[in-house]
Amino acid sequence: MPEPNGGARAANGAGVTNILEARGITKTFGGLVAVNSVDFDIPERAIVSLIGPNGAGKTTFFNMVSGLYIPTSGRFVLTGRDITRMKPHERAQMGLGRTFQNIRLFGTMSAVDNVLAGMHVRLKGSILGSILGTPGVSREEKEARERAHALLGFVGLRGRQTFAKNLPYGDQRRLEIARALASDPKLLLLDEPTAGMNPQETARLTELIGRLREERGLSVLLIEHEMRVVMSISDRVTVLDHGEKISEGTPTEVRQDERVIEAYLGTARTG
Amino acid sequence: MTTGDATKTLSGALLEGLRHSSWQSRLAVAVVALMLALLLVQAVQDPGQFTSQLLIGLTNGAIIALIALGYTLVYGIIELINFAHGDNFMIGSFVGLTVLSGTLFGLGLFAPISGDSGTIIKVAGVLIALVVAMAACGLLNVGIERIAYKPLRNSPRLAVLITAIGMSFILQNVGLVWKGPAQVPFPDLISSANILPGDAIVFRWKDLFVLAVTIPLLVGLSYFIKNTKQGKAMRAVAQDKEAAAMVGINVNRTISVTFLLGGILAGASGVMYGLFNGITVFNVGFTQGLYAFTAAVLGGIGNLSGAVVGGLLIGIIGSMADQYVGVRWTSIVIFAVLVLVLVFRPTGLLGDRSATQGGGSGRA
Amino acid sequence: MRGVALKRFALPAVLITLAFLFPLLDDGLGLGLMFPIIVIAVYVMLALGLNIVIGFAGLLDLGFVAFYALGAYVMGWLASSHFNQVSFSFLSTAQSLSGGARPGIHISFWIVLLVAGAFTALCGVLIGAPTLRLRGDYLAIVTLGFGEIIPRFFQNGDNLGGFNLTNGTVGIKSIDSPGIPFLPESLSSWQRFGTLDLNPWYYTILVLVLITIFVNIRLRDSRLGRAWVSVREDETAAAAMGINPVTTKLWAYALGAVFGGIAGAFYGAFIKSIFPTSFSFNISILILCMVILGGMGNIYGVILGAIALQGINFYLLPQINGWVHAIGDALGSPLLSGADIPKYNFFIFGIILVLMMLLRPEGIIPNRQRQEELHDDSTGGDALGGTARA
Repeated sequence: MPEPNGGARAANGAGVTNILEARGITKTFGGLVAVNSVDFDIPERAIVSLIGPNGAGKTTFFNMVSGLYIPTSGRFVLTGRDITRMKPHERAQMGLGRTFQNIRLFGTMSAVDNVLAGMHVRLKGSILGSILGTPGVSREEKEARERAHALLGFVGLRGRQTFAKNLPYGDQRRLEIARALASDPKLLLLDEPTAGMNPQETARLTELIGRLREERGLSVLLIEHEMRVVMSISDRVTVLDHGEKISEGTPTEVRQDERVIEAYLGTARTG
Repeated sequence: MTTGDATKTLSGALLEGLRHSSWQSRLAVAVVALMLALLLVQAVQDPGQFTSQLLIGLTNGAIIALIALGYTLVYGIIELINFAHGDNFMIGSFVGLTVLSGTLFGLGLFAPISGDSGTIIKVAGVLIALVVAMAACGLLNVGIERIAYKPLRNSPRLAVLITAIGMSFILQNVGLVWKGPAQVPFPDLISSANILPGDAIVFRWKDLFVLAVTIPLLVGLSYFIKNTKQGKAMRAVAQDKEAAAMVGINVNRTISVTFLLGGILAGASGVMYGLFNGITVFNVGFTQGLYAFTAAVLGGIGNLSGAVVGGLLIGIIGSMADQYVGVRWTSIVIFAVLVLVLVFRPTGLLGDRSATQGGGSGRA
Repeated sequence: MRGVALKRFALPAVLITLAFLFPLLDDGLGLGLMFPIIVIAVYVMLALGLNIVIGFAGLLDLGFVAFYALGAYVMGWLASSHFNQVSFSFLSTAQSLSGGARPGIHISFWIVLLVAGAFTALCGVLIGAPTLRLRGDYLAIVTLGFGEIIPRFFQNGDNLGGFNLTNGTVGIKSIDSPGIPFLPESLSSWQRFGTLDLNPWYYTILVLVLITIFVNIRLRDSRLGRAWVSVREDETAAAAMGINPVTTKLWAYALGAVFGGIAGAFYGAFIKSIFPTSFSFNISILILCMVILGGMGNIYGVILGAIALQGINFYLLPQINGWVHAIGDALGSPLLSGADIPKYNFFIFGIILVLMMLLRPEGIIPNRQRQEELHDDSTGGDALGGTARA
């Protein structure tokens, strides 16, 4: 268990720095408490999963991390800076990347352009520079295109000149990850990345998530229903139920936790 | 909890609200307060004139409110700013004028009704003009929806808005061909004499006429929406089209009924406008339509009582601006109200739908 | 590859050459089309400015005329005798008949063009900053509100606490002509642009239009251009990529305003007298119609749309009017022979708007992206072309 009063850049037991720290996060909608006083840490280079039955508050929590909701109380610290009240685009600039449960690509852009749009905040080309076509801007654009192609290669896509929305489903998922990677995130939020995938595609995506950490040194926060994915790649798993954190630990620990089994058996869904 | 505690929490909440309010909203409140204070000074200096002006504002506001209801009904149900609605109102005034002048398609059906006609003929003429204009505008509105908006039900919102603007120009030019570019006079059927004794406060027969037509219409509309099956269907469709369809509500028919109602109110409003102001013109729908849209937004678009309150307020703001700022500034004042309401309180005074994007940020 | 290069460079080169040679053609054939062509070019520039706002960023602006009006009035204020309380001259080629100092502010046309562009950009930011967070249809109405307020303000601005800012309905008259000093006497028509020889005007607006096209193309393919498309398509996803939706839209608004303002400033100097009534809502809709007819987001389409609609205004309608009158005379119908068809031009524009949206929302020459977006049958989106997802 992490120390509840950890400092801004506190180290946990193993002496690893935390990328993200959430303290006492609460969100109420009217009288309904969706998330209740949740503490949560994501260490550097870790894959952390957030699971729980439907309506447990996972998505609300996720939306608070990415900035779509502002918590009623509590705070988020990303790499030492308080981001609780920051807007989504400011968080992205701070190094937070995300994908969406119901893929939200820029449908009428090509795959490369999607990645280039994701790179937006890491490019410097000014408007005047773009209009005049200064050497600096041209060079940056050329390098950006090369990097975009490299990123597409990394996720296993080739830069095809079709609209993103015409890509096969599995490729769209991969493209969304490539687009998120383009903004050089330190922490990547993946919202049910294997939803709607067949076992083969799921296995390939699981492998890709592993490589995000191994090859790019990213931390990943994963919301996932597919328990095999969660249990095979997570370093740590946090379980929410009715807005409360009921369990936290390694996949093995969580799997054996009585309260988790009860929470899952208590609802129709067993993952 | 004791009452004392409650008061304490209330004042605390107010303080909290003040602390959290942006400088913009504080400024807005201050400006509104200043305006009210200035008006109050005028009211004390010349109460008769102020009251007369207030009454004229109410009458104008009633005419605007009827148009505003058409915007708000349609927006409530298909989230479209029906830009052509103001021009439908103009067509209503033209239809009314045509009926009163006794000509239809070039045929002289009866002698034109003028100020010299007998009282019974005048009353009957006005009633017939109202009914014909209401029917014509209702059907016109339904027709416009069928032809121009229905095929675009799944298109981007702005595509439908552009279509509505196109329809607005088409109607305006129909009016231009019909009655020409100049202002056309309405017969002077209703007396401008003051009902009230003395001339300190002016409340004319004309004003009474407008209120006498508007109030039954509002009561009827309210009854229709609250108590009839079709009215309930409208509310259901406004809430959730798909769910309404699933429980067996005919969504297309319900939308048509909504346009019909909006058109009927615009038709009545058009005839009243003509009789009240003595003139009408082919592009009257643009300005009046914008005033009415402002009213709908001010009250909270999609909110029916909001449209009425907003209409009356816009009427009063307009008449006050006429008197105390100068007639030529009135339209600027009202458009400024439109802009300011949308910027500072897009949900309107009574609030209903969020005008800003993203559910989270819309919460004030 | 050869075909691509041909299409990419040869066609524009031919068109530009033709445009530069047009005055010779006009003179040689005695067409007398210089005046309408210059006005059409002003509208091409306006349409390209609005294209940035609507075509690229997907924001419906119903008050674009405000920037056009502001640009024209900046020219009126800074290059005429309107402010006759002062006498200030700076690099202006305008001279007084008596040779003495002229009343009013007279600044070089070329400088005022830039000032007008900067001023309207500033106004665009001031109008846009508080309003751009509104949803698309509300934003459209707010822009309409501003588009109505500004000309009405000009109309009433002849007595602002005793100060005559705009000269009311009379408007600002005898605006200075531009000119290029330091030219030899043989190029006198270029030293001070006159009303007889329209060539200098023509080449000035041609160059302005070419610059506008160039900037449009460069912006479309830039980092900002991608940000516009992404915000237009999915604001939430764009924000998750670190793109600030509000500043992105604000740039579209400001850059569009720049071209509106410069076009207005040129028009003011060209037409010499400006009135508030020349800047009505109809003009906003006319420009909107050009963008939609040609194809939102497609630069060539928008140019074509502008030429087509002004062609209808200047050429087709008077032509039809003549025919109708002839028919009326032949039939002895006073209704037809007295009809004033050009008066009903907005009937045609209204029909164009409705038919385009119903039948071909992507315009005559579509932008491929916008074509896909507008034919995407998912539930109604917010931005023009964007598709909303739950």
